[in-house]
Amino acid sequence: MDILLFVSVLLIAACGLIYELVAGTLASYLLGDSVLQFSTIIGCYLFAMGIGSAMSRYIDRGLAYRFVWIELVLGVVGGFSSAGLFLAFAYARGFELILYATVLLIGVLVGLEIPLLMRIVRDRYDFRDAVAHVLTFDYLGALAASLLFPILLVPYLGLVRSAMLFGMINVAVALWSTFLFAGELPGRRGLRAGCAVALCALGVGMAEANRIAYAADENIYADEIILSRDTAYQHIVLTRFKDDLRLFLSSHLQFSSRDEYRYHEALVHPGLSAVPAPRRVLVLGGGDGLAVREILKYPQIESITLVDLDPEMTHLFSTHPMLTTLNKGSLQSPRVHVTNADAFPWIDDNQESFDFIVIDFPDPTNYSLGKLYTTAFYRAVARHLSAQGVIVVQSTSPMFARDSFWCIAETLKQSGLRTYPYHLYVPSFGEWGFVIASTRDYTAPTTLPAGLSFLNVAGLPALFQFPPDMAAVPMPANRLNDQVLVRAYYRDWKDISH
Amino acid sequence: MKVSRRRFAKTGSAALVGLSFKGERTMAGSFVNDSFDSGHRLRDRAAFSPVQRVETFPVVIVGGGIAGLSAAWQLNRRGFKDFVLLEMEREAGGNARSGENEVTKYPWAAHYVPAPGPGATYARELFEELGALRNGRWDERYLCFTPQERLFLHGRWQEGVEPATGLSTADHDQFRKLDDLLAGFRARGQFTIPMERGLGTDAAGLDRISFSAWLRAQGLDSRPLHWYMNYCCRDDYGALASQTSAWAGIHYFASREHEDDGGTLTWPEGNGWIVRQLLQRVAPFVRTDRMVHRIAQRGRGYSVLSGTTEYQCEFVIFAAPTFLAPYLVEGIPPLPSFEYSPWLTANLTMERLPASADVTWDNVVMESPALGYVDAMHQSVRTHIGRTVWTFYWALADGSAAQNRQLLLDQDWRSWKEAILRDLERVHPDIRACVSRVDIMRMGHAMARPTVGAIYDPARRRMAALQGRLLFANSDLSGFSIFEEAQYRGVRAAEHVLGVVGGSAVLRRPTGLR
Repeated sequence: MDILLFVSVLLIAACGLIYELVAGTLASYLLGDSVLQFSTIIGCYLFAMGIGSAMSRYIDRGLAYRFVWIELVLGVVGGFSSAGLFLAFAYARGFELILYATVLLIGVLVGLEIPLLMRIVRDRYDFRDAVAHVLTFDYLGALAASLLFPILLVPYLGLVRSAMLFGMINVAVALWSTFLFAGELPGRRGLRAGCAVALCALGVGMAEANRIAYAADENIYADEIILSRDTAYQHIVLTRFKDDLRLFLSSHLQFSSRDEYRYHEALVHPGLSAVPAPRRVLVLGGGDGLAVREILKYPQIESITLVDLDPEMTHLFSTHPMLTTLNKGSLQSPRVHVTNADAFPWIDDNQESFDFIVIDFPDPTNYSLGKLYTTAFYRAVARHLSAQGVIVVQSTSPMFARDSFWCIAETLKQSGLRTYPYHLYVPSFGEWGFVIASTRDYTAPTTLPAGLSFLNVAGLPALFQFPPDMAAVPMPANRLNDQVLVRAYYRDWKDISH
Repeated sequence: MKVSRRRFAKTGSAALVGLSFKGERTMAGSFVNDSFDSGHRLRDRAAFSPVQRVETFPVVIVGGGIAGLSAAWQLNRRGFKDFVLLEMEREAGGNARSGENEVTKYPWAAHYVPAPGPGATYARELFEELGALRNGRWDERYLCFTPQERLFLHGRWQEGVEPATGLSTADHDQFRKLDDLLAGFRARGQFTIPMERGLGTDAAGLDRISFSAWLRAQGLDSRPLHWYMNYCCRDDYGALASQTSAWAGIHYFASREHEDDGGTLTWPEGNGWIVRQLLQRVAPFVRTDRMVHRIAQRGRGYSVLSGTTEYQCEFVIFAAPTFLAPYLVEGIPPLPSFEYSPWLTANLTMERLPASADVTWDNVVMESPALGYVDAMHQSVRTHIGRTVWTFYWALADGSAAQNRQLLLDQDWRSWKEAILRDLERVHPDIRACVSRVDIMRMGHAMARPTVGAIYDPARRRMAALQGRLLFANSDLSGFSIFEEAQYRGVRAAEHVLGVVGGSAVLRRPTGLR
């Protein structure tokens, strides 16, 4: 009897700590800034425990009955907390509110546990022993939980299933208590039925954890998928690891929020700052609004037309709070006009001219995308270029896809343009390349917008220098009727990925 | 090829008789562009209405396919505008006809032209005028996009239509040997486009044996090689290699520069694009729904009867299929050596692509009796293609042409639709879930067949010679129906008219009759 009682104490202590750790971990993965998240979660949790302890004095009668109920509710709330919070993050607004409400509720329930238990057992033990034993096992449970959580639970079960497992343990303790305190429990049958239902629910939850929150049962050390959406055109996946937000389109990395400023500053400013008095800008692709964010740094620009195929993509980057934080709400600027259209037919049908044109398409991984890297396309784009205008083209990696990079440069050249290839290092991508193309001579700008993190005027010339391992290789131009680029790209990447 | 021919018979009849419609979505469609009735009235020499009015033109062109339209194009281009073109169908275009629905334009028959080499002067002049050829360079938007062709064999797709996977060393050696032989013919320059340019007497022997017999005589008996040669004959001539003159079989390969040289010109609506471009220039001269039922000599010129109108003219350019001439023109004896292949084409409106499809332009299945299908959206510059139209080609090459013509008439739309879907199911099991409409066009006399002896046939050579004031211009005079031959003969006939009497007063009337 004694040892079983104290094992129960150990278990409920472990459960309480696991819920706290789950909430803290989940908050830091989803919201970033783990120090802040853990501090506030622990603070809130301890404070709630205090509330629970304070409330315990208002419980007069039916202590054992209420204790079992608390354990049961705690098991259900704590067990589903992780899955619920993942779902809330993906589908509901006000995630932080839901998070702290959950932590508060769990904390209050946990805070009630020990005082009630102490009062239940006070008749059986000497007060001194009761306090010593209960608190000893309480702290032992905490130690066990804090060691199990990072070493076994998270790596092997994941956050969702860990919480559910401990929810089940919690409910099991409730069930066990109905036997333990059988003498003091009048309505045992109802309680046991409740426990059985809760156990079943948590068991189903365990089994279905993948579907409840597909992201959560993955190895926690891989990135959490916080958004996954199939649109008519592509598969959009947004992942977050701590404060690093990454966008994948059909499994290809588009940016990492840690270093995208390098990519987008380099994509926009060397070309745009070289255009005298730019007024009208066209962005093809780039539905993430990050290139537009850079372009908006030029107050003299009156209008930016963004053409992106996928309305869901531009909608997402116009509305999702994490994404609009990243692109500074660029897509909602009154100077920006978003058009959802297939770029090539749009270019054919449109009559406007632009001072700066950004071509930022996904890599030429297939013949459909390859059409957007052909002489026919570049010729059509060049017809929209004003006399002083400049085009810049995302051109894959001159390091990993050297043939592809120089094929794109050659294609621009054979489209009747002068080309100025350059490159930079983007940690999440590796060496990456762009090509500036224009009908006139290009000279690097002598001023850049203030407040850039990567580019400065002194550093610009170095971008246009290619070391021998990335130097130009002779390649034919990519044409609609002979898409050498897609084949080269396939070869290039196959060489690297074995 | 024997295997697949037998299979044709089997699957063909099974499809025609079996007809199961388990779980099939409602599929709309019908036969379209039927012209059997008017053709058969000619054949049966039915009575036609008496003449009620007379119009006079120096030149009347009979037939609005590529040959007739090209003749019109050349007359107009040379400033001669006093002529009329009479077309039997509601729309001009002949074997280059096309259609259009809410998804895309699509071809009904001829759907590409291999980029004409330097010898095809008239064709190059036309394409220069149409903006497809600039400074010796073809506009890439009109060249077939990547990926071009694929073949389904041994349970998977390979790139290109020439079998390349699963070949034995002997097969490889034979393909190489044939390549060498054809390179030799190419170098000799007897096989040209237009064919008349290189036609000499020293290659006449090749016209006396069949292509398959010639291949065997060279020691070429590889099955994949014979399949491929057969496929090419079915595709270009609607005939089997055993029915095709060896001269024509060799011409197919030896007349053009190496494949990757110029590329292939194609458009969503196939050669219908060329028809539209020509019509933009000559539409005012074209009268459709005008079936000519009689052409009779009248003084120095001719009287052309169509409906209740008599067109009196100095010259007739007869650009309609030449086999019609004996039924229309007094004094032309029957032309038994002119053979034509019956064809069936279908346009399938696709709500989505089958799961297995990574569709290229031209998709061929080795085991199929049909020729495969072409994707009309392939030449679109869009990166994302949702709906599309597939044009399914089926030359009824095996068996007697007369029987196959009867088969075309006897089987109803539903049977043909089933046969087509069953054929496509070999490679796209979910095809029925993708197709919403199947329109089918039946052509009894689609293409001229260069049968053994056809190329050097004296009757054909006689008709082909531009003499007198009745000038024959159809591509069948070359022995086979390809765009370049039709265009060449049409332009040549127009040149002949302009050349012979270019300066005479007859052709210089102050007012037209428009």
